[in-house]
Amino acid sequence: MSRGPAISRRLARLPGWTVLCLWTAAVLLPLYILVVSCFKTTAEIYDNRLGLPARWAFDNFINAWTRADLGHNFLNSLIVTGGAVILTIVVSAMAAYPLSRYRLGWNAIMLGLFLSGIMLPIRLASVELFTLMRNLGLLDSLTGLILVYSAIRIPFAVFIFANFMRVLPSELDEAARMDGAGEVRILFQIILPMVKPAVSIVAIFTAIAVWNDFFFPLIFIFDDRYKTVPLAISVFVGQFRTDWGLVFASLAISMAPILIMYCLLARQIREGVGAQGGMK
Amino acid sequence: MATHRRTSSLKRTQQRMAVLFILPALAVYALFVLYPLAMSLWGSFFLWKGLRMTEFAGLSNFARLFVFPSDARLYGALWHNTAWFFGIMVFQNGIGLLFAWLLFLRDRGAAFFQSVFFFPAVLSPVIVGALWRLLLAPGGVVEWALNGIGLHQGSLTVLGSSHTALGVLIAVDAWNWMGLPVLIYTAGLRQISSQIFEAARLDGAGNARMLFSVALPLLMPALGTLTTLSFINTFNQFDIVYVMQGVQGNPSYSTDTLVTYFYRLAFGAEGAVGITDIGLALALGTLLFLILSVGTLLVLRFFDRRTVEL
Repeated sequence: MSRGPAISRRLARLPGWTVLCLWTAAVLLPLYILVVSCFKTTAEIYDNRLGLPARWAFDNFINAWTRADLGHNFLNSLIVTGGAVILTIVVSAMAAYPLSRYRLGWNAIMLGLFLSGIMLPIRLASVELFTLMRNLGLLDSLTGLILVYSAIRIPFAVFIFANFMRVLPSELDEAARMDGAGEVRILFQIILPMVKPAVSIVAIFTAIAVWNDFFFPLIFIFDDRYKTVPLAISVFVGQFRTDWGLVFASLAISMAPILIMYCLLARQIREGVGAQGGMK
Repeated sequence: MATHRRTSSLKRTQQRMAVLFILPALAVYALFVLYPLAMSLWGSFFLWKGLRMTEFAGLSNFARLFVFPSDARLYGALWHNTAWFFGIMVFQNGIGLLFAWLLFLRDRGAAFFQSVFFFPAVLSPVIVGALWRLLLAPGGVVEWALNGIGLHQGSLTVLGSSHTALGVLIAVDAWNWMGLPVLIYTAGLRQISSQIFEAARLDGAGNARMLFSVALPLLMPALGTLTTLSFINTFNQFDIVYVMQGVQGNPSYSTDTLVTYFYRLAFGAEGAVGITDIGLALALGTLLFLILSVGTLLVLRFFDRRTVEL
């Protein structure tokens, strides 16, 4: 092959590369501005728009963490996210096990009941949910948030677990049953370790959804002590309107856990989302 | 006989174990999702005093939705949600197809670009909204940049103008979720047999022709999934509006959506602050539930019919 066509083929690809790089810049530039602005004073943000900060000062982070009390919100978000992830995984795996591996006669109906919840617009039920939470004493409570988030995420988790468990060979649990293992042990010591990819898909997508949610804390949490990060951020944006450095720093703090998780798990997340597209 | 008894006793044990295993998940799901949702639909046919249901009212809550003063709010929000949906279909799912196709044609860099494009989608809409609110504010970096390259003069007020605010929010939402169509289309494209593309190439089809005549018909399931997701997401739109424009959908309700309106009716920010109208809120919720269910079914049927089997 001569060099001419190779070069012209590369040239033909240039517009495509340009388009891809432009969108990359559109994504990364705002995030870059966010990061460098965290280290600047508000005056410096106005004077020096795109450059690196004159001094890598952590004042904004310290102010956000202590004066605006974001540290407290951060801890609340961690508790709620961790609690919801664990509860969702345990109860969903338990439900998916008999639904995918026993012959009950009513597997399909029960699975259907769970699956119908994947797309239910639960926000529309928030009035009745509010009354229910008030009657149960779960307003202004992290436990209340954990229960609501788990309830919302259970349908998706049951769906994923059932799909992964269904294809495991039936000899697995039969052999264990012959050896006298109980059903609880079969599920948690034999089946669950075999569906680790399902566990990580459920954990990742539940963690992202719960960490980011804003709507339910907005209705159920009034006491500053129980506010989660997104709710606190929505207040900061108005409250510290003139202190841009502090708002930028609190945005950076609140996205840090997700950023770290994304850098570690980008491949699983990409494949998980792609697979969801082909789910139907 | 003995084995028969053993299998039937195993079956009985399994039935009992199944109930015990399913119960925790079912209880949480039924109590916090199914029950409140069913009660909300039911309650929309009743009169309300504050948070207390009083007497059966038939369709009168629904009738109130369509007359003064709530008709203007309802039609406004309905129109904004519809515009939002079509805006996302064009600017997110349309441009996303172009990005996915460009990545599919290249053997290098796909994973990197996909990861970058998808990153905003794992961020909270609150963070995305707050970030863009700062960037687009008067005196913000976007104003500075546009002034610098001469595209705009003076103070940038796109979020303060009722002509531009909704469009800006749709663009921010598309920026937030652009990675989703890219990932779903590329997964779909990779499932198409390479022989099909080779055959088309031999027949002399160019890249554009291959995308629209060969790939697109085979991407109907992916497009169907995206349309369904976009439909549900846009008609549930709340966070970005709340953070960027406030719960009233400022300026002058020009970015109001069905869920922000619902929130104001249910939790007291419509009209006088602190006054709620639960009956009206529940009727709006039921209406939105109907729109979402019928709309999703129509979208699914539309794409089922257009799915090409190979």
